Amino acid sequence: MNVMSAPPRSDAPIRRPGRSRSRAELVIDAVLLLAVLAAIVLALTTHRFATVANAKAILTSASLVGIAALGLTLITIGGSAVSLAISPSVAAVGMIFLSAQSFGLVPALALAVLCGILITGVQGAIVGYAAANPVVLTIAASFAITGIATGVSGGSTVSPTGGGYDRLNATPGGVALSVYVLIGLALIVQWTLRRTGFGRSLYLIGENRRAARAAGLPVGRTTAVAWLAAGALFAVTAAFTAAFNTSANVNLGGTLTFDAIAAVLAGGTPIAGGRGSALRTLAGAVLIAAASDILLLRGSSTGVQILVKGVIVLVVVVLVHLRTEGSRA
Amino acid sequence: MSATGEELVRVDDLTKSFGSTRAVHGASFGIAAGEIHALCGHNGAGKSTVVKMLSGQETPDAGAIRIGGDRLDLHSRQVAQRSGVALVDQELSVVASLTVAENLMLGDLRAGWLNRRRAAGPRLRALLDNVGLGHVDLDQPLSELGIGERQLVEIARALGQDARLLILDEPTATLSDVESEYVYAAVRAVAATGRAILFVSHRLGEVLGLCDRVTVMRDGAVVATTAVAGLTIDSLIVQMLGEAPHRLRKRTGREAEGPAEVLNVSGLSVAGRVDDFSIGLRPGRVYALAGQLGSGASEVLRAIAGLVPAATGDIEVDGVTVRPGHPIAATRAGIAFVSNDRKSEGLFLDKPISWNLLATRLPAVTRWGVIDRQRWSTALTRLVGLCGLDGKRSADSVRSLSGGNQQKVFVGRGLGRSDVRVLLLDDPTRGVDVGGRAAIHVLLRDAADRGMTVLFSSTELEELLDLADVVITMHKGVVVRRHDGDVAGPVLLREMTHGAATPAEERR
Repeated sequence: MNVMSAPPRSDAPIRRPGRSRSRAELVIDAVLLLAVLAAIVLALTTHRFATVANAKAILTSASLVGIAALGLTLITIGGSAVSLAISPSVAAVGMIFLSAQSFGLVPALALAVLCGILITGVQGAIVGYAAANPVVLTIAASFAITGIATGVSGGSTVSPTGGGYDRLNATPGGVALSVYVLIGLALIVQWTLRRTGFGRSLYLIGENRRAARAAGLPVGRTTAVAWLAAGALFAVTAAFTAAFNTSANVNLGGTLTFDAIAAVLAGGTPIAGGRGSALRTLAGAVLIAAASDILLLRGSSTGVQILVKGVIVLVVVVLVHLRTEGSRA
Repeated sequence: MSATGEELVRVDDLTKSFGSTRAVHGASFGIAAGEIHALCGHNGAGKSTVVKMLSGQETPDAGAIRIGGDRLDLHSRQVAQRSGVALVDQELSVVASLTVAENLMLGDLRAGWLNRRRAAGPRLRALLDNVGLGHVDLDQPLSELGIGERQLVEIARALGQDARLLILDEPTATLSDVESEYVYAAVRAVAATGRAILFVSHRLGEVLGLCDRVTVMRDGAVVATTAVAGLTIDSLIVQMLGEAPHRLRKRTGREAEGPAEVLNVSGLSVAGRVDDFSIGLRPGRVYALAGQLGSGASEVLRAIAGLVPAATGDIEVDGVTVRPGHPIAATRAGIAFVSNDRKSEGLFLDKPISWNLLATRLPAVTRWGVIDRQRWSTALTRLVGLCGLDGKRSADSVRSLSGGNQQKVFVGRGLGRSDVRVLLLDDPTRGVDVGGRAAIHVLLRDAADRGMTVLFSSTELEELLDLADVVITMHKGVVVRRHDGDVAGPVLLREMTHGAATPAEERR
């Protein structure tokens, strides 16, 4: 490691590699924090940004992408790169959720989650047990899902068969329910990653799949479970999105796939796997939502908003790469 | 052809040190035009360093390399190629998905940016004919060729560089006898065109059968250069080992009649690599598979660990059959495996030492799937102590450790567990310094004393003699002999390099 041969600084006579790596991590966290601070300064100078109503708007817009991005975080940490089938899955599950409203909200929600688990879980099992390339597989899967959804719905828009869904649009304490759900789920995912045997296996498999296999770790099962959980989280996003739109068609997911990937990357989770956290993804989702909001309030065009999203992702990815190189080399 | 008069290649007083280690000192030898010259020596004798200096991969500290009388400064592989030195490496570097012609043009200095396949056709054809691949079409995909033919394509490619000196580094190590014969024929044909050939090999039989003269190295120095006519397998072994390792293997006093066998392998085969391997191992003992590259020792261990899907045969641990080709099944049965490639198939380098040590025993440190901090730290403290690691560093990444300590972590992962019955280690001290090697030997001996069965592969005589209670020698995929009792170093080396012993040796 080059840190060992680097000339010692006066403030740190003994620099152990472990320390300096966490220091490098701190630098990245600091940069992330700085970006948020810069955004806040920018925000405060932006008319109408620092209002309660606007904060709610940011959190609400971050929540739907955020919940899906939490699911994607599991996939990415486990070394399966990304799923490109998030939007179609969300659209399909959203349609199922609204058509099942006649059974009541809770059964409809359970059905939605079950379908979400099934759709994404099957892909995860193929990636985990048959070592399929996740990118190729999910491209194929997204066409399959869209095709089936279009066929079944006849290409039309699904309207709710009952009114129970509207409870998802509730705003307890003046904040959208989806925001509470996002924060709650982020904490649960974070705890699962940090404190369970599953989480630890996922990090190990993500870092070195071959070594994990040789060590006898359940590579296939762990990968499949990560995708199952991701499917459940996609389904939650789907229910909220469908409830918000009060109707669903095959385009319900919109640009969610890339928004979720952007949130994961903006949070500093490397695409290669083995690192990352749910809270980082949460921060990434809020960062992107806040940036879009500022630009919106400042009157920038949609084009500029999208461009800035890309720039944020690029900057963070480069920073993460530099940190990784700096700690290895 | 043992002409010594017209020397095409001349190496004088070649010296190379790595840090404080003198890998090669004062090596001198010459190769005549048209001569097949063997370079022999046991592991660490300095052969590969000489090969690297000749092929431009290492720069000598002192000494001269001359080809055709001109002194050469081979400071890179490209320069060496241009100076007429071609190297066929141990590892095949041909690409299976390309055609034969494309492979021949890979790395060709004269190939421009444009693919000049058509213009190069007749020249490539001649190259193939030279090495006895007249039946192979230039546009055939390489994947349709056998492994021996691929090796020949590699030799043909080396010849295409207009080489005056062709170096072959263990070209037949992974080939069958029939495939090796093709290579011998090609090498003879190339020598007949007046080139000099340096043939590095562990197989003493082929050295005596194929080569004109043999240069033997030991401890970084050239022992002698002798014409094969004056050599036998045994006199070669004496040159390679000198007087020192004639000592007998120390017996540990453990008798063969112990508790029942833990691991029972019968009829284990891996196509082209291992043929009908059988073994029975008792607890509390250290077993060694002694074999060079291509002997099948490594494949046997990998197959038992479930990492070779194509393996067939019966593997039983405590009487329970383990399905081959399934690493999880092997782990459940109590088999732990330490690969010879700790970076890509062993450790999680960016993860803390603690995670690495406990990676395979997550069920034991969790309660209802949740990590139990108490159990985690108890298990960690015990393992860190057992492996002799620094407990204060257990949060540091494994990458920050020295090679020896990394290996300790890797080996330690399988230790101190009642559910691991058999510990398999593929060349456990490769790339580990002397101190780390001794520490790992102590770890393995302790593990056996606590009732574990240890089976490792190695090519190091010292290691085989010091550590193992039982040594099983392997050559070309089959077991040569099982030595339960005392055995002398030269006997092991003979069996590893030449296969079955002569009747005179049998009584040892």
